[in-house]
Amino acid sequence: MGMAEEIITEPNYEKLCSNILNCNEHVRFAGFVNDKSQILHSAQKDNLDSLLAENEIGMSIHYTLERWRKAQNFTFRLGKERLTFTEYDNVTLVTIPFKGKLLLVSTEPRIHYDPIIEKINSILTDWEK
Amino acid sequence: MENGTISYIQSLREDLGIFRVTPDGGVPDFKAGQFLTLGLPLESKIVNRAYSIASSPDNKKFFEFVIRWVRRPLPGRLTSLLFNAKVGDKISWAKPAGNLTINDTLPSGEKDTRRIVCIGGGTGLAPFVSFAQHLHDTNDKREVVVLHGASYVDELSYKQLLTDLENDSIDKGKDKWNFKYRAAISRPEEWTNRAWNGHKGRIEQFLRSNDAGKSPLEELVGEKITKDNTMFYVCGWQGTIDGTMDYLKNKNFVTEKNKRDDGSYEVKFESYG
Repeated sequence: MGMAEEIITEPNYEKLCSNILNCNEHVRFAGFVNDKSQILHSAQKDNLDSLLAENEIGMSIHYTLERWRKAQNFTFRLGKERLTFTEYDNVTLVTIPFKGKLLLVSTEPRIHYDPIIEKINSILTDWEK
Repeated sequence: MENGTISYIQSLREDLGIFRVTPDGGVPDFKAGQFLTLGLPLESKIVNRAYSIASSPDNKKFFEFVIRWVRRPLPGRLTSLLFNAKVGDKISWAKPAGNLTINDTLPSGEKDTRRIVCIGGGTGLAPFVSFAQHLHDTNDKREVVVLHGASYVDELSYKQLLTDLENDSIDKGKDKWNFKYRAAISRPEEWTNRAWNGHKGRIEQFLRSNDAGKSPLEELVGEKITKDNTMFYVCGWQGTIDGTMDYLKNKNFVTEKNKRDDGSYEVKFESYG
């Protein structure tokens, strides 16, 4: 008897980003990065100006990944990280680990986040089914 | 175990530091490339772990170590204690040991005059910092090349010291001191590494031949690398050792563990993973 082979399918990041971006009117941006800071795919609402300059986006991803890496140092005590929020005056940044990558989402600040998070989790869970 | 004191801590990153231990009775004789077992108390027991010595055996004031605080999947017990220790804390140590030392003679008994190439991955650089300082301080005439691989530029822990040793080689002339140092950064696309314009990729790729049939190492030393003119010393994760041997096996290099019937070999290594 041979062992069952695990079939690993890479997510369709383009479609996931599109679904997340369009799941709620307050979502500004959705993107996936790997642990080498490479953006696998990202999408932004057409009518919005980016709040960060090109080099600042790289810096922001770096800070996010650094924080994520350091947070994983407590996995052995606290379990896996599921979600982070950083609310600035002008934008809210949400990160959700997904399949060894990091989903970055930005939304308008000071809104009700629960429906957005539920919708995003539903989109990610649907892909896994 | 003997007693000593933590006499210096330099934090390079949150998870990388240089530590010095001053033994109560002075630094004993040891060989460049050896390791030392350190011990600290934890819950009424002593926790021990071995670390490669980065200081030269000619330095009789202290032992020096470069240590990474790995915390995944679990943090190491002694390393966690060290990263929470303060200068002045007492520490115990056992006598230096280890076989990743410089070969001065060939199996035939003749003097080994081959070029020394050291490949260190991450904190696997430590024994070669000891090598380089010792070979320098003892006026060794062999050509010495130290190659250091790291993920990020702020992990190039001994860049200043090794650059100074290379500059000294340029100033004195190769006939007096023949030393070269190069580093490779494996994640060049990351923001931290944006200013890096040196070698990019894994450190063992210094041995990979280009389209013209020459490796970056061969371009650096100016001749073809053969088992008759070069002795390799490698320290790092098993992946670094395996990657290095992938290139060297094709050139008929053999490791100390698989030495030929006549006792000859050209690669000595130590892995920590």
